[in-house]
Amino acid sequence: MIAIPLTAFLLVAAVLFAIGLYAVIAQRTAVMVLMGIELLLNATGLNLVAFWRFTAPQDYSGQIFVIIIVTIGAIEMAIGLAIMMLLYRRHQTVQVDKYKELKG
Amino acid sequence: MPVKTPFLLEEATEMEVSPVLQWAAFGIFAFISIAGALGMATTMSMFRSGIFLMASFIGVAGLFILLLADLLALLQIMMYIGGMLVMILFMLLFSGDPGGGMMSTHMRLRGPEWFFSLGLARSPSGTDGNNANDSSDKEEDQRDQARDSHQEEGEKEESNDMSMFTPAKRGAAGLALGIGVLLIALLLWRPHWAVVAQMPDPDSPRRIGHLLMDKYMIAFEGAGLLILLGIFGAVLLQRPGKYPDSAHREELRAAVEDAPAPVKTDPLKPLGLDRDREK
Repeated sequence: MIAIPLTAFLLVAAVLFAIGLYAVIAQRTAVMVLMGIELLLNATGLNLVAFWRFTAPQDYSGQIFVIIIVTIGAIEMAIGLAIMMLLYRRHQTVQVDKYKELKG
Repeated sequence: MPVKTPFLLEEATEMEVSPVLQWAAFGIFAFISIAGALGMATTMSMFRSGIFLMASFIGVAGLFILLLADLLALLQIMMYIGGMLVMILFMLLFSGDPGGGMMSTHMRLRGPEWFFSLGLARSPSGTDGNNANDSSDKEEDQRDQARDSHQEEGEKEESNDMSMFTPAKRGAAGLALGIGVLLIALLLWRPHWAVVAQMPDPDSPRRIGHLLMDKYMIAFEGAGLLILLGIFGAVLLQRPGKYPDSAHREELRAAVEDAPAPVKTDPLKPLGLDRDREK
């Protein structure tokens, strides 16, 4: 039996989400923006797992969502890395507010 | 179909863990994840940010274990920390200054970071960072080099405006804080969920595998296809020789606001540029 209420986990996830949102908005470098997005995805995953554990522990569908989220996060990171390397070669900077065009 | 498993987990999950211990574990893991996230979002050094993010991921993995999602905790550690963080650290090597030495003067620093960056104060954006380096700020430059002597000259020139935060940092913080407070208020306002007092099956990897191969097969295969397409896309994006020629490149660089000084050494110069120049 778990002694911790569901709300505690959701609170942690909400705090993580807010911090990730701040990182996404405030950071200038593309890498940091991607890291913020990873944090957002992580908070979402924590929410999903907490809801799975507390509301439907016998149905593992909740965990499938997290697996899909992790997969998409990995793809996003790979594509983000590729685009960032291209942009660095093109504009000699990694700061997102310096990019005015993406046309190659 | 509960499968009999002679596995240690079965006894482990049926064992009663004392609430104090559970709360202690929850507190530790929540603290690690939140403190790591805060460090990630506020540190001036990108490398440290990556390490803080790793700590945050470890904390969330611990929370997953506390929630008895053992497979997901393993996935978290192996994929996020083992895979994606390596990718992040690789990406950091491309940015001018992953260690956080290139902070401009208009940034407000506090504590030890401010002290360590005293000699690293840069001219504000718009002025020529090259001149400031060479003529006036000799001793600053020396201290600079003493701190990060591994850095290339070219990198130092081009990234003199390397502050990590947007000018609208305050607004972003306010917005994020507002949304966080809103979420927490919503959570505390109506914390009545249909909670089931039930233990999950101890054999979670098997159940997840069955679900992936049965009920969620289309999603599973779709994710596989997405990974394949993602790999193809990343490789295609990195194809050399698809960049503008040097003249166009200079023009582009001038068009970019606060154009940094031209770089002397460009280790990333694509092959296509050489070919164009020879013609």
